[in-house]
Amino acid sequence: MRAKLVLTSIALISAAVVAGCQGGKGLQVGNIDVGALTQNISGLKPITEPEEIQMGKGMTETLLGASPLTDDAQLQIYVNNVGRWVAQQSERPNLPWHFAVNDSDAINAVAAPGGDVIVTKGMLRVLRNESELAGVLGHEVAHVVRKHQLTAIQKGAFMGLLTQTVQVTSSGRQSEQLVNALIGPTKELYLRGLDKSDEYEADRMGVVIAARAGYDAWGLPNSIQTLGTIKPDDNAVALLFKTHPTPASRLEKLSVAMGTSFDVYASGQQNTERYQHAIQGIRVAAQK
Amino acid sequence: MRTLRWGLLVPLFLWAFASIAAEMGYVLRTTDLKAKPFLDADTIAKLPEKTQVEVVTRQGPWMQVKVKDNDKDRVGFVRMLQVRLNVTGNALAGASTGSTATTVATAVTRPASSSPTVTTGVRGFDEVGLKNAKPAPAEFDKMAGFAVSAEQAQQYARNGQLAPRSVPYYSEDGKPLKDVK
Repeated sequence: MRAKLVLTSIALISAAVVAGCQGGKGLQVGNIDVGALTQNISGLKPITEPEEIQMGKGMTETLLGASPLTDDAQLQIYVNNVGRWVAQQSERPNLPWHFAVNDSDAINAVAAPGGDVIVTKGMLRVLRNESELAGVLGHEVAHVVRKHQLTAIQKGAFMGLLTQTVQVTSSGRQSEQLVNALIGPTKELYLRGLDKSDEYEADRMGVVIAARAGYDAWGLPNSIQTLGTIKPDDNAVALLFKTHPTPASRLEKLSVAMGTSFDVYASGQQNTERYQHAIQGIRVAAQK
Repeated sequence: MRTLRWGLLVPLFLWAFASIAAEMGYVLRTTDLKAKPFLDADTIAKLPEKTQVEVVTRQGPWMQVKVKDNDKDRVGFVRMLQVRLNVTGNALAGASTGSTATTVATAVTRPASSSPTVTTGVRGFDEVGLKNAKPAPAEFDKMAGFAVSAEQAQQYARNGQLAPRSVPYYSEDGKPLKDVK
């Protein structure tokens, strides 16, 4: 009844790769087949979707440890409704998508493997309407679709642990070991950010995903344009600016990619009223 | 009591209106100011590089802007991706609802005495907060509790007049990619 699924030990495998194990076939450490694990982590054999979801959960628990959910159930449900609809237009509609608004005044949004997306309260305050939110969430959904964070973790640049086998029970309750093994790599990844090319790709895809969902496709460009109005030395954007290309270069890239081809999707919705109503509880007191 | 409340609210409303500062920006390069939001619409003027514009509305790829032309204002449309907004130094200036500085806002909404995060910094989701983060499994469960089904999301989309469309992805140089959903 507690059938166990052995989840790839990212740490072990990458260590094996780094140590230059020759493909590792047949190599055994105790009763662990290092060869098989090496193949998984080195990308020869992809991490399965259930494994990805469990890893994402471990990473998200750490991200939520930095800032918990903001106490506004209506807003949480609203962002899930918008986010889920946006994610349905992607190539991975059937992931267990979760969207959360954390309680931070910083301006940021992040995604974790398996379909977890966190957007800060501060970000929602600077967005104008639902099409901008859809664009931001579309950008995060794109990261998950393209497995940007998963690949970054897999690349082995974040592995500090050597021998740990992570086990996950079939009930879906993940072991403490997995969460613990992922704390360091998670922090390193989200403090360092992804490759710039991943961010540009997520911008291009986010625009398309929001357009597919029926939104004004310029929601994401408008939100990036807004980010450009904030002084880079403002603490609210320090982490976002450290981990992303500058707003100016993101807009420049989007301008080239979108050209005039997207004009046919100009008729999308912005849903400003619905958005402004949804965020009224988190507006700063003076704004209410 | 009632009178007193209104007495407080009226100045607040006035303040709110006054604080919605116009969004200002400039065109990156020489840009056509169009009479209507279409590529083939009449060109009202050619705006030289760095011309200051005031944002009136946003409409897909177009931004309706007001431009000072000697003493009178001209209103027309420019491509939104040709506009950069001025740096205001204010994290909330882009929001349509006001312009209170974030730091002030934090003080207003979260009195230090009642804030559980005040010891680790008011922003939480920043470099320090992330470095010090400990896994919060209970928060994950809470998040999962707010998840909605595909059907619920679809209904919510319908309520918002959102109709799904088929749109291909595009390459960096603007070519449609083949794997169209």
